[in-house]
Amino acid sequence: MATETAAAAQDATEVDNIVICRDVHKWFGDFHALRGVTTSVRRGEVVVIIGPSGSGKSTFIRTINRLEQHQQGDIIVDGVEMTDDVRNVDAIRREVGMVFQSFNLFPHLTVLRNITLAPTKVRKLPQADAEAGARELLERVGIPEQAEKYPGELSGGQQQRVAIARALAMQPKIMLFDEPTSALDPEMIKEVLEVMKELAASQQMTIVAVTHELGFAREVADRIVMFDEGQIVEDLPPSDFFNNPRNERVRRFLSQIL
Amino acid sequence: MATADTWQPAPSLPAPRSERGWIGWARANLFANWLSGLVTVVTVPLIAWVLWRIVAWVFGTADWTLIASRPQQYLIGLYPTELAWRPLAGWLLVSILFGMAAAMWGGAARRIAIGYGAITLLLGILPYGMFHEGVVMPGWIRALIVANLLTMAVGYALGRSSHWGRPRTFVVGGIAIYVVLLVLLTGLPGMEQVPPRQWGGLMLNLILAVSGIFFAFPIGVLLALGRRSALPVVKILCVVFIEVFRGVPLITLLFMSQVLVPLALPENFPVDSVTRAAITITLFSAAYTAENIRGGLQGLHPGQAEAARALGLPGWQVTSLILLPQAIRNVIPAIVGQFIALFKDTSLVYIVGMLDILEMGRSIVQGNVQFADNGRELFIFVAVVFWIFTYTMSYVSRRVERHLGVGVR
Ligand SMILES: Nc1ncnc2c1ncn2[C@@H]1O[C@H](COP(=O)(O)OP(=O)(O)O)[C@@H](O)[C@H]1O
Ligand SMILES: [Mg+2]
Repeated sequence: MATETAAAAQDATEVDNIVICRDVHKWFGDFHALRGVTTSVRRGEVVVIIGPSGSGKSTFIRTINRLEQHQQGDIIVDGVEMTDDVRNVDAIRREVGMVFQSFNLFPHLTVLRNITLAPTKVRKLPQADAEAGARELLERVGIPEQAEKYPGELSGGQQQRVAIARALAMQPKIMLFDEPTSALDPEMIKEVLEVMKELAASQQMTIVAVTHELGFAREVADRIVMFDEGQIVEDLPPSDFFNNPRNERVRRFLSQIL
Repeated sequence: MATADTWQPAPSLPAPRSERGWIGWARANLFANWLSGLVTVVTVPLIAWVLWRIVAWVFGTADWTLIASRPQQYLIGLYPTELAWRPLAGWLLVSILFGMAAAMWGGAARRIAIGYGAITLLLGILPYGMFHEGVVMPGWIRALIVANLLTMAVGYALGRSSHWGRPRTFVVGGIAIYVVLLVLLTGLPGMEQVPPRQWGGLMLNLILAVSGIFFAFPIGVLLALGRRSALPVVKILCVVFIEVFRGVPLITLLFMSQVLVPLALPENFPVDSVTRAAITITLFSAAYTAENIRGGLQGLHPGQAEAARALGLPGWQVTSLILLPQAIRNVIPAIVGQFIALFKDTSLVYIVGMLDILEMGRSIVQGNVQFADNGRELFIFVAVVFWIFTYTMSYVSRRVERHLGVGVR
């Protein structure tokens, strides 16, 4: 009886939580990059990750779509446990979109082809449908007129918006952002943040974003998670995080970047 | 207002000293200072003198009889004359491709097709052999050579038509024509057989080069991928293969293919020495191609593979759709350089006793007392023939690069 309720409770959290991490460890050779990370992300939640450089933020979000393999602990994404099973990994990657600091658009393909490639090859969408969807997404990120160009012909801000459209084209349940505005000139940061805010406002999308845009974090985040030396040292709603940080390391970090 | 009708243009200044035109050009480039002027004064007469000597030799002293009296042997070696219609028929088919390419791609392809057509026409109508004793080219051979212009026209029409003029048709047609050509040269069962040993001349160089390039490229791609494979066995095999073929001179490999391989194979194994040489040249070239492509793959930003994997593309599509196209494009100059080397290396088949264009010429010089002093003419002729082909290859490479460069960066 008691175990049944426990199991039911566990089921409920698994349904609620689209990402569950339990005591995740990751080593690069001898270097202990993630030192027991335990956290979870609810469906539709917007989580912003901050922390000093080298604290393991990128490594952590890259374990969520297995661009990095963790060596210890469990990661469960949308009910699928991350293992070496290729089918699981492929299944997860279809549901998780990722946007990189350096855009990583495919320079030999047009903007349109960048966006339609995965839907046609992975989701087996007919080319015409994929193209219609791609043009809609370009409209949504504000650059419908750039469809036929090559990435090299676009500004950084435009490239990053194409990268967001490319990830969204797979209709992911989660979007991961790894410092999406760090490589951009100041005047282009805003246009990318606008797109991200619009995305955050839609209730279905779960977002995990590494960013030091504190204005963005304050405005749209449900939680702010701070990493330091491979561990989570704070996890609070934005108001508490900024207004009365209890943790000494958080206070020191905030004083450095504000 | 008041000044409008009294206004006069200022008088023109005297023209500045010309920086354009040939006088200006000479001043800027040849006589910019006293040292450059001195160099010009010394070198220009020297170059003129050397050029004059060359022209005087080419059109005066040189005796081109050893070329002009035996065109057929330079083209197809000792392939039997009464069966010469076979290579000629194959040539007619190949010309279709040139016509098609000219119609489909225009520009560089059209210029190459025009040059090709002009040379073909010349080969058909030049009065060689007429004034000399030698292997006179029969009229029907001339007719078949000139007929290439017709099949080029057919190819051009095909290239224009919306149904046939597609890259896929071109590639499939090219492969089909190549296979037909090889079968035709050998002879179908029941026809008189002409084994590859009897093939020769420029035809042999071209067949070896085309087969070599056609197979070396995919094999090179596979070796490059194999060398990066996560499977240790695959990786080690590829590394050993590449390093052996890159570490041993081609000429040594060719000797080995003749002397050592038969030891390993059962007696009467149906691979003749020519095929073995062709395979050796191909594998040698594939090893270099593999290293070029591997270099291209390593030059890519790791984010390319990560972005593709993050989209859920399976590994082989990450490689074939994202990594290889970029890597290959980045190393086209190196790969074409490799294929130019391959074409030049085809003349090494003299080692297995084949009469390619160079060896054919040498045997003409050595076998005929009247040509004993004409080695110079022979080597210059062969050099020019090789140069025409290799220059065309590097021309195509530059055009392709420029074309693919559109939209990069
Ligand atoms: N592929 C790798 N090999 C070795 N060390 C790495 C690798 N990737 C990251 N690291 C190390 O792991 C630590 C955390 O890196 P990262 O997650 O990129 O930090 P952050 O994104 O917070 O700046 C850093 O010290 C970094 O040097
Ligand atoms: Mg980082």
